[in-house]
Amino acid sequence: MTEHVKAEVVLQATNLQLTYDRPILRDINFCIRNIVRPGLSQGQVVSLVGRSGIGKTQLIKIVSGLQQPTAGRVTIYNNKPVKAGDMGVIFQNYYLFEWRTVYQSLMLAAKKNSKLFAMEKQIIEQYAEQFQLTGHLNLYPQQLSGGQRQRVSIIQQLLKGSDFILLDEPFSGLDVCMLDKAVALLQQVSLSDELKTLIIVSHDIETSVAISDTVYILGAEPGKAGATIKKEIDLIERDLAWVKDIRREKRFLETIEEIKREL
Amino acid sequence: MKKIFQPFATINRQTILTMVAMQVVITLMLWHTLCTGLIPKPTKVAAAFVQLLGSKLLLDNILVSLLLTLKAMLYSIIITLLFAYLSVLPFFKSVAQFIVKCRYLTLTGLIFIFTLLTNDGSGLKLSLLVFGIVPFFVTSFLAVIVQIDQQEYELCKTLGYNNWQTLYEVIIIGKADQVFEILRQNFAISWLMITMVEGLSMSEGGIGTLLIKYNKYNDLTNVLALQLVIFIIGLLFDYLLGAVRQWLFPYSRLKKAKAL
Repeated sequence: MTEHVKAEVVLQATNLQLTYDRPILRDINFCIRNIVRPGLSQGQVVSLVGRSGIGKTQLIKIVSGLQQPTAGRVTIYNNKPVKAGDMGVIFQNYYLFEWRTVYQSLMLAAKKNSKLFAMEKQIIEQYAEQFQLTGHLNLYPQQLSGGQRQRVSIIQQLLKGSDFILLDEPFSGLDVCMLDKAVALLQQVSLSDELKTLIIVSHDIETSVAISDTVYILGAEPGKAGATIKKEIDLIERDLAWVKDIRREKRFLETIEEIKREL
Repeated sequence: MKKIFQPFATINRQTILTMVAMQVVITLMLWHTLCTGLIPKPTKVAAAFVQLLGSKLLLDNILVSLLLTLKAMLYSIIITLLFAYLSVLPFFKSVAQFIVKCRYLTLTGLIFIFTLLTNDGSGLKLSLLVFGIVPFFVTSFLAVIVQIDQQEYELCKTLGYNNWQTLYEVIIIGKADQVFEILRQNFAISWLMITMVEGLSMSEGGIGTLLIKYNKYNDLTNVLALQLVIFIIGLLFDYLLGAVRQWLFPYSRLKKAKAL
């Protein structure tokens, strides 16, 4: 097992419930801790997997503070209740303001980050170069490909400076080449800061698990209405986290099968 | 050829132009052949149209009408934007909704009240026009606000915007191009009303006044020629507002094409 320490709690969800005309989510409890690896500055990558329509997007909205749960609470760091704006959210279709150029969109986010004061332009240019978007800064979102939109969305949330980035189905609709790039991109983001926490909500189990350190399985239990977290899998304990080409390993495939059985 | 009768078929520009030209020719031929008695033939209308275009009378009256229309449009858009933006505040929502329902009021029934409220014919025409236009403007703009994608608000929230900043970004800045589109679509309404309100105070002239005069003397040839002028000016403005919108808001015409 890779040497690591699970330090302070960075995010805690307690007894979350969401009910409309029927229960959607119930008894959701999970806790994300800061994982510290000696000699490395690395954030956390948590996956929340579940079948389509199980309530994953609702859960991401609650966790990010965009939606109030019927009951329960989400707190970050020192028991501070989460509110909209505390977390960066990258929506399923990488939504961007259609009336803003890439540069303008990034500047809007950078202006919200006091740490970047007077350096916004410089930082945007650095990110654009790093994410291969330099030539696209003056384009509108409609002129970008899906992969480019995704990168702009990610940079936008990085510029905003939130430690938490929630990604709703980041792998859907990407071709094989783009999928690899997206995975590399997320790994790059998770390595950018010790407290950077990525929460990936996806039904693409293999890709999500391959880049995560923890997996939560969201599913329904027999005889109970509403989805809940059925299982937590610590991928570090299983020596499946932070391993290159993990998808070829037998123990990885066994874990995938285990997850599929739980869904 | 078969394509032009197939549902959802895409036809090229050349075919469209040929098709429209043929439709116009057929219409004119039918008009020329079938009209009898009081209805003037197209050639006669065309001659009157050319004569009208060369007259100072038409130019003067068009200027009067255009000035009044533009003035009314300006006031209307200011009032519309004010109430539409304020409609996101619960206190003003009901006011905006009431304005929308004012579409069902007839202008004719309000002429006397507006006459009492205004000082002269010019003010009366302007106020009636504004009153006639604003409910349609507000209706269109509120529809735009209602149809705003929830993700636009959510993106603002994730970027840490408060409600006022969200209002500015999503509705004021984000929908500025739609304001222009509404303006373009509703120009037709104001252009339609101008001929009516100009009949109320004829001393200042205008194409409405001219139309009423021609109608009064059963000069149907000039009535149709003037209708043609009104129609062409309307089309020109429609094109002009569309072009200005594309120039001011280039993203409004962008197709979802991959950047090279």
